Amino acid sequence: MKKPFAYIALVGGALVFAYPFVWMMLATFKPEMEIGRLALLPSEWTLESYRLVFESIPIGRSFLNSLVVVLIVTSSALLFGSMAGYAFTKINFRGRDAGYNIILFTMMVPFMVLLIPLYTLIVKFGWTDSLVGLIVPFMMNATAVLILRQSFLTIPTDLIEAARIDGCSEWRILFTIVWPLSIPALTTAGIIVFIGNWNEVLWPIMVVRNEDWMTMPQMVALFSVGGGAQSKLGPQLAAAFMLGLPIIIAFLLFQRHFISSLATSGLKG
Amino acid sequence: MSEPVGHRPQTRREKSISALKRALGTSGGSRRAVSDPGRMGYVFSAPYFFHLALFFGYPLLFALILVFHRWDIVTPMEFIGLRNISRLLQDDLFFRAIRNTGFFLVIHIPLQIIVALFFAELLNAKLKGRSFFRTVYFLPVVVSGVVVAILFQQLFAFETGYINGVISALGGDRVPWLVSPAWAMPSIALMATWKNVGFYVILFLTGLQNIPDSMYEVAYLEGATTWQRWTQVTLPLLNPMLVTVVVLSTIGGFSLFIEPYLLTGGGPLSSTLSALLYIYNQAFYFNHMGYAAALGIFFALIIFVVVLLQRRFVEEDIY
Amino acid sequence: MNKTARLILFALAWVLVVTGCGRTETASDADGAPVRLTYWSSQNPQERELAMRLVDEWNALNPGVQVTVQPLPAGQSSEEVLLAAIVAGTTPDVCSNIWPGIVTDFIRADGVLALDVFPDFDSLMQSRVPDYLLERFRVDDGHVYQLPWKSNPIMMQYNVLIFREAGFEEPPRTYGEFLAAAEKISVDLDGDGQLDRWIGYRNIHPIWHERLFDYYSFYIAASGGKTLYEQNELRIDTTVSNQVLEFFGSLYGQGFFPKTKFQGNAFVSKQIATEFVGPWNIAWLEENAPADLEYAYAPLPVPDDYQGTSYTYGDYKNIAIFSSTEHPNDAWQFAKFLVSESADLQLLELATQIPIRKGLLTSPQFSSFFSDHPKLVPFAEQVLNTRGVEGVRSFPEILDAIAQQFEAAAVYGIRSPGEATRLAIQRIGVIEAWNSE
Repeated sequence: MKKPFAYIALVGGALVFAYPFVWMMLATFKPEMEIGRLALLPSEWTLESYRLVFESIPIGRSFLNSLVVVLIVTSSALLFGSMAGYAFTKINFRGRDAGYNIILFTMMVPFMVLLIPLYTLIVKFGWTDSLVGLIVPFMMNATAVLILRQSFLTIPTDLIEAARIDGCSEWRILFTIVWPLSIPALTTAGIIVFIGNWNEVLWPIMVVRNEDWMTMPQMVALFSVGGGAQSKLGPQLAAAFMLGLPIIIAFLLFQRHFISSLATSGLKG
Repeated sequence: MSEPVGHRPQTRREKSISALKRALGTSGGSRRAVSDPGRMGYVFSAPYFFHLALFFGYPLLFALILVFHRWDIVTPMEFIGLRNISRLLQDDLFFRAIRNTGFFLVIHIPLQIIVALFFAELLNAKLKGRSFFRTVYFLPVVVSGVVVAILFQQLFAFETGYINGVISALGGDRVPWLVSPAWAMPSIALMATWKNVGFYVILFLTGLQNIPDSMYEVAYLEGATTWQRWTQVTLPLLNPMLVTVVVLSTIGGFSLFIEPYLLTGGGPLSSTLSALLYIYNQAFYFNHMGYAAALGIFFALIIFVVVLLQRRFVEEDIY
Repeated sequence: MNKTARLILFALAWVLVVTGCGRTETASDADGAPVRLTYWSSQNPQERELAMRLVDEWNALNPGVQVTVQPLPAGQSSEEVLLAAIVAGTTPDVCSNIWPGIVTDFIRADGVLALDVFPDFDSLMQSRVPDYLLERFRVDDGHVYQLPWKSNPIMMQYNVLIFREAGFEEPPRTYGEFLAAAEKISVDLDGDGQLDRWIGYRNIHPIWHERLFDYYSFYIAASGGKTLYEQNELRIDTTVSNQVLEFFGSLYGQGFFPKTKFQGNAFVSKQIATEFVGPWNIAWLEENAPADLEYAYAPLPVPDDYQGTSYTYGDYKNIAIFSSTEHPNDAWQFAKFLVSESADLQLLELATQIPIRKGLLTSPQFSSFFSDHPKLVPFAEQVLNTRGVEGVRSFPEILDAIAQQFEAAAVYGIRSPGEATRLAIQRIGVIEAWNSE
């Protein structure tokens, strides 16, 4: 392919993908009346949209809620996922393959089918309007098990055997031998669980109705469709921008990990 | 699920493996009898399966039971036999929603593949700054669907939206993105493509990079044109990846929900009513929990069959 | 095994410690500690402000019963939220934003308390509520489950200057006049060949509650104060229904209403000249409208041959006490406080909404408010001629059936009004049959 053409296409693509975000960022600093116009830069810079967001919703608190939920879910998915993945690859026990197939099956059932019964279960446990209801159902993650299992398969079994003969307990083998060898897979699984959980909206909308325990995507979505934004565009965009910002920053900082992680999930999932 | 995709040699990792082997091999420690490791298999997988039984098994069972009941969540369940199912079979709107979802897939998947292949091909050339471009293309992938929906609501607005503003400034006719029944679903497919395509660019890029240069050299020596090289070398070798992409975007497309929920509410004229949105409305607007469960299970069976067919297709293609 | 068990326990304990703070606490009222009540108010800033002021006032006066206020968490609709809260048992003690259309479902769920069992209920109703409303909310079992709080009539808000420029000193009264004005007002101002100002606008998302403010309000106006039901029996007047659908059909068909979803407020940006709204909009406009926006209110347009009183939909919101409360008597005292004269006055002042109260325009306590706020007078006058919604089961689903046909016949014109009305009635029949079998 010709170089100039390639660059034109690449730059065009970059504009298509990045320009909306740039526009959104600048629009949040415009006076409300100006947002509909085509000019990219605000005629006068104002923080009015942000003031309205912070006045109407506890968005800072929702950020912390999201952070707590996503950190616990991610670490738990990695811990229990690697335990299961290790059992599936390095321990021979009856029912191992059946167990693995069950996990594969769970991935094919759409979440929507389970939504209502799961909600009633959460109601029975009294976990509505709490972070527990957002965390516990997602503490295990099938994708994480799959990714970790794939990685553990490549660790030579004789290595594990040698460790066993040396008297290492299974716990020690997992944490001191298998984990250090599986940092890339742990990162991959961690990032996938993290992003998926961070962006989840539907489940929090059902389980949490109390503003104090809402997650950030939920709060922004409700702010936008509910009456909170008072049909003003500026605050909606400002809230959306604040929701996107943490993950964009995280992505720009660790973009190599993000990209390779998500690509592997595609290959293996 | 097939066997692990071959990792490229990870030398540092292999070094540490052999170092570990050496350490373990020469330690010659007290060779205690190994406690039955099979038992530990159960111990290690028990938490997972306990959780799975509670938060997957029980709800699934409950959903199956619900299929035969009328239940508005607030009063006790009432057994109604097969009435939910006979209602489903006569529910034109539900089948409309399934067709809509299919229509979405038909636009979304080819569009996604073409765009993704195009950019992957560009990025595969050793150009300067390609990691920058890769990052930019990937940006929408990591951002929440909520952000994207709020953004596109403005971009797609008919009279006041940014895109139509640009089109009219250039002298064109405004496009009725979300307000015309004919355009609404394609618009949503366009938006979904914009959001996801970066992911597939990376997948294709991985696939392209795995094609050995020697294959191209052979084609070159045989005097193949660029186009021939592309159709006779690139595409066939990329085929497994192509199938993966199709399967992945099919599963993703079936779960189309949040975009129409936020952007159109299923309108205009039910043209963007996706199956999951319809199920959601039945359950949470109108409190037909039993009926929604029946719809959900039925839809799950459809997904199951489609994925199964694609699986078979994958295996035939690879081996 | 021991080790594993300990690890799992530890993990669970860890989760519970980190997240365990999520439960709402209910303070005991033994030992002289104050009774605690939770009160949910509406979500918009004006009503939040009102609720906070009232609660502060109450808490200062009643050290023994302390109330905490929370805005009703808004989903797509507050009804969804409340029903889910009933299921989960997380309802507050008192909620002041109950839409009568959903109360039937709340009663079936045993979610709300009958209020007429409180000894002073009748005297309160007699002294406050106009006679024609006294029995409105009594249900088949003979009880009343909601305390009438406010009624916001839907009226036509119009931009006085735009109409004057187009040669209209008076707002349009009939469909014919409205369409004639529409022709002059819906124009292309910047000359790019596309309309950029319209006579009006409605949110065309096919979501049931949007239809309260067009089809349903206009049906009541055109029928002279009838609703879709008579004594809980479906009685849709097909002529009226067809007239309403045809009116909106010509507005959309001729491009006088844009088929779009505006971003931001199009009335403020003068892209539209009319809007069908309740009085709450006044508080919003006072805060957000530019100084040169001159607006006024008039009754909804009616069919050309319509004679007589102007009726409209009254968006009632009432107060309910949920059965989850442990202190029904304290909750009742608080509910009464919410409808006291001073609370009603603050509802008018802060939120510009119309309390349900006898002699609003004539009583000395309120008349000075209305002479200071002439914009609210038409609403206070209109309140006497409003109709609410039916206490029938699945009312949202019934409105959804109408919303589907409204979209087809009025917005997109792919179906004749007669056919659309017929299909709506047919669909409502199916819904009722499903419920009753």
